[in-house]
Amino acid sequence: MLRFLLRRALSAVPTLLVIATLAFVLLHLTPGGPFDSERVLVPQIQHSIEARFHLDEPLWRQYLRYLGDLAHGDLGPSFQYRNTSVNELIAQGLPVDVAIGGTAMLIALLLGGSIGLLAATRVGGWRDRLPMGLAMLGISVPLFVTAPLLILVFAIRLQWLPAGDWVSGSWRHLLLPSVALALPYTAYIARIVRSAAIEALASPFIRAARAKGLPSLTIVLRHALRPTLMPLVSFLGPALAGVLTGSIVIEQVFGLPGIGRFFVTGALNRDYTLVTGITVLYGALIIAMNVLVDLCYGWLDPRVRARQ
Amino acid sequence: MSPAERNDGPWRRSWRRLYARRGARWALALLGLIMALALLVPALSPYDYAAPSWTHIFLRPSLRGGEWFGTDGLGRDLLVRVMWGCRISLLIGIAASLVSVLIGVAWGTAAGYIGGRTDGLLMRTVDVLYSVPFIPLVIVLEVLFGRNFLLVFIAIGAVSWLDIARIVRGQTLAIRSQNYIEAALALGVRTPAVIWRHVVPNLLGLVIVYATLTIPSVILFEALLSFLGLGVQAPLASLGSLVADGANEMQANPYLLLIPAAFLAAIILCLNYLGDALRDALDPRHD
Amino acid sequence: MKPAPRCPSAVPVRRTLLARPWLLALCACSPAGTGTGAAANTIIVGTGLAAVQALTRAVDAGGVRSLDPSLSTDVPGERVLDDLFEGLTRLDERGEPAPGVAERWEHSADGRVWTFHLRAARWSNGVPIRAADFVFAWRRTVDPRTASDYAQALAPVVNAIAISEGRMSPATLGIEAPDDRTVRVRLNAPTPYLLSLLTKSYAVPQYEPAIRAHGESWVRPEFLVNNGAFLLREHVIGGRITLVRNPTYWGAQQVRLAQVTYLPLDRSAQTDRYFAGDLAFTDSFSAEQTAWLRQQLGTQVVSGPYLGNFVLGMNMVRPPFAGNRSLRMALTLAVDREPLVRYVRQGLYLAAYTPTPPLAGYPAPVPDWAALPDAQRHALAQRYYAAAGYSARHRLHVELHYPTDTDNRRTYEAVAAMWRTNLGADVSTYNEEFRVELNERHLHKLDLFHYAWIGDYPDPYTFLQLFQTGFGYNDGGYSNPRYDALLNAAGEEADAAQRFGELAQAEALLNADVACIPLYYYATRHLIKPYVRGWTSNIQDRNLSQYMYLLEHRGQ
Repeated sequence: MLRFLLRRALSAVPTLLVIATLAFVLLHLTPGGPFDSERVLVPQIQHSIEARFHLDEPLWRQYLRYLGDLAHGDLGPSFQYRNTSVNELIAQGLPVDVAIGGTAMLIALLLGGSIGLLAATRVGGWRDRLPMGLAMLGISVPLFVTAPLLILVFAIRLQWLPAGDWVSGSWRHLLLPSVALALPYTAYIARIVRSAAIEALASPFIRAARAKGLPSLTIVLRHALRPTLMPLVSFLGPALAGVLTGSIVIEQVFGLPGIGRFFVTGALNRDYTLVTGITVLYGALIIAMNVLVDLCYGWLDPRVRARQ
Repeated sequence: MSPAERNDGPWRRSWRRLYARRGARWALALLGLIMALALLVPALSPYDYAAPSWTHIFLRPSLRGGEWFGTDGLGRDLLVRVMWGCRISLLIGIAASLVSVLIGVAWGTAAGYIGGRTDGLLMRTVDVLYSVPFIPLVIVLEVLFGRNFLLVFIAIGAVSWLDIARIVRGQTLAIRSQNYIEAALALGVRTPAVIWRHVVPNLLGLVIVYATLTIPSVILFEALLSFLGLGVQAPLASLGSLVADGANEMQANPYLLLIPAAFLAAIILCLNYLGDALRDALDPRHD
Repeated sequence: MKPAPRCPSAVPVRRTLLARPWLLALCACSPAGTGTGAAANTIIVGTGLAAVQALTRAVDAGGVRSLDPSLSTDVPGERVLDDLFEGLTRLDERGEPAPGVAERWEHSADGRVWTFHLRAARWSNGVPIRAADFVFAWRRTVDPRTASDYAQALAPVVNAIAISEGRMSPATLGIEAPDDRTVRVRLNAPTPYLLSLLTKSYAVPQYEPAIRAHGESWVRPEFLVNNGAFLLREHVIGGRITLVRNPTYWGAQQVRLAQVTYLPLDRSAQTDRYFAGDLAFTDSFSAEQTAWLRQQLGTQVVSGPYLGNFVLGMNMVRPPFAGNRSLRMALTLAVDREPLVRYVRQGLYLAAYTPTPPLAGYPAPVPDWAALPDAQRHALAQRYYAAAGYSARHRLHVELHYPTDTDNRRTYEAVAAMWRTNLGADVSTYNEEFRVELNERHLHKLDLFHYAWIGDYPDPYTFLQLFQTGFGYNDGGYSNPRYDALLNAAGEEADAAQRFGELAQAEALLNADVACIPLYYYATRHLIKPYVRGWTSNIQDRNLSQYMYLLEHRGQ
């Protein structure tokens, strides 16, 4: 187990290096500098700003410097938010995304899982067709349509919930963005759980359990749940990447100070360090999630555990 | 299975299975209808998608007035603009999916067929790329290099080939180990010919399924880019940019959001459904 | 606000209010027709002060990038810094410069030496503000080591430019403190807009010990020492900023708001949040929605002139525009500004025929053709178009570049369509991300581009400077020695009327040469709840929270 984690951690290093390099090179290739502005800069000031952020050095020196800092966990100073480091920005923004992404995934798992299981036990009936039709719709309607509509209905018309903003610890501010983000995942999870559960319910050991006369609910929960979880777990890895990009939209629509917003405004303002830093963070999160998925696999399937 | 069906080729059988599903028929019909409208309406309508009409600003949808879908802030007919949006979105969806299928199939067959160290290298690259946060990266690219059609295709296509590459590799491995391939090689048939004649046809079904499922995700992604203000150039519009504009107007003129959103959802829904149905229809386990 | 009780849903609420006789009920209601929304918009306003004086207002979605007065360059930062810091002068309720930390001042006969006498004001930590705090702050702003984008803003002060270019030491800056309560400023030339300049954040005092102790972090809520009407309570980067009343502010007696919250939001989100009742004062709203908003909110929709022009620039260093005045003339003539204003901006903006927006006392030169009826103007445009060598067979093909923004897009789509209809020119619009557009036009790579400008101070010079030879932001590359000479002469002129005359002469030359295509002048635009008072529209759109207060009200 420990060796497995160590091996994965080691193999993550080149991946992160690739990501950091990719982001660094792409950003420095692009037209428009971080300190172009509506105002005219005196060349000396331009120079002194650039010197301050080491932009006057040759690119390879900047690159090595960046990697050196990265190795120490220092993502550098933000260009656009003067007086602030990228680490500070991430420390401030990440909890917002974790809260919303986590709540959304929780909602999606509970809601999607139960819908899927319910549908699987009633294949072909209206309790299967209706939720599955809705799930298909849920996948097809993009987040940036549902989120504004949720705001229109629940914040502007009914005035039940705030239309945005972030107050840490306030569930009222958390609810609308989380639900919006959860909708497509609920739909996906319901579909995955349904088809996996149908397969599991048709398998010999379930039939054996039925033959023993165990109640239906017990069968589903005790025997069908575990094999059903397998495809779900493999979905959750890529789903995290989706939650990350999804939260960019959610932050935009609800005006939340998460890292997705920093990412977009950072790109717009050529904030090299901020964008590279967040890209590396996204990469690290995806890797970590994949490791977690593999661990879950091991827990769910003894055969995989042996190989780990 | 009826005796008549048994005589058909595998393609016809798959098609029949697909056609037997009522939902699939509906999805096909609706998609065909939208495509036909997207082609015909802009050609037949007296309205232009770009020219402002000052006397027709923010007209609500009405059947009598001639503007069935209403007009936008510059007095332009929403019907024509939505149909143009469908054209653009479908075009981007299909073109970018082609790119991704081409890369994915080439990569996957190469890895699966050649095997050994090449396979290891190619698939290790895919593993690494899986961890790259691509969608954010494409957003950065779009911001940085300015908007152009070609770049959108390439960027999206380049992002979405990973799944296809993995699946194609697996399938190729399975085909490669079949006896008839070994036999062909033993008979001195050259490798490219083997790949072309035996491997590719066996991959076709799989590739069609994934291409069908890639199109909606590409359309959604383009829509996301448009929503973030990084899509096609005005006055041209994709469904995504129409939705984004509509979202700004949703209180005053909800139809500007709801109509393009409905078309977007309908296209995605049909394609997703077709992809699912195709997967089932092409599944050899049904035989 | 209309006192007429037109909303039936307001009646029962009003009865309970009338139980208190001092409360005169007023109803700011919207016509029904919004379904459930109508009831939510019903607000009843009394005459007494609200018990809770907490205002939530919006700033542009970009948010505050820095609260360091020497480094801040964005509009949201300016809004918040106006509440946190006060310079020698401050803006009054009407947006005019008024005594701030300086109680009174006098200047030499040639207008080049100004002496300011400070009042007994204190920093938020109780320490008295000294003249040396201004000297320190100004030197810090122009010091190249500070790397401030805004160092050149103090250019009128002696040696400011030389210092920012690293040619002289910051100690040589033309500001000194003869004693603790006197600031003396030496200027390169008479600067009529100096008092306005001094209200800006780059001219406020800064507390040296805090900066020494905390370095760049000195602007965090836990470290900041400031002298404005409010204190910084909370600063979520890219998110909300909360301020509370500063008890040590010299004018604290007059400040009624106890708390001010700033939220960074884009235009449509501001409108949504206003309807949701989360915001009482928006920073802007979408021009396209003006009519609908007026219908929904009535007098809660306010707008006024704004110190900014919306202008198209042309590349004067390469074809097709270089040396082709006829073509430039044809393009400017073929734009129908009235429909632009009426339909695209829904009457919000003012049609522009010359770069400088209307300013008190300034005789802006409007070209004669502005008064021509449409048909004649179009005919004239076509004649110029033909004279420039273009025809239906040989059309003008040019790209119009503009930064991404829905508000801009509508305008440019409309303008391109006008050129297509009125001239037959083929103009394709091309929107780019802001930084890219900026960079390309700096490098003279664009032919036709968005060239809007928000003035730094209410004076024509801030707009006319853009066309001066060698000025770093002269992106069109316009160069005319006569124009430059006129601007320089105006710079040396001490008499205000004489100076305006010379500037107007220069501007007339600009129009004759068609150095740009003015489209319209910006307008300030806000949604403001009827119970928010102490606010007046001003040309710089700077609305200090210290003058605002809330009346007692029901509903939101």
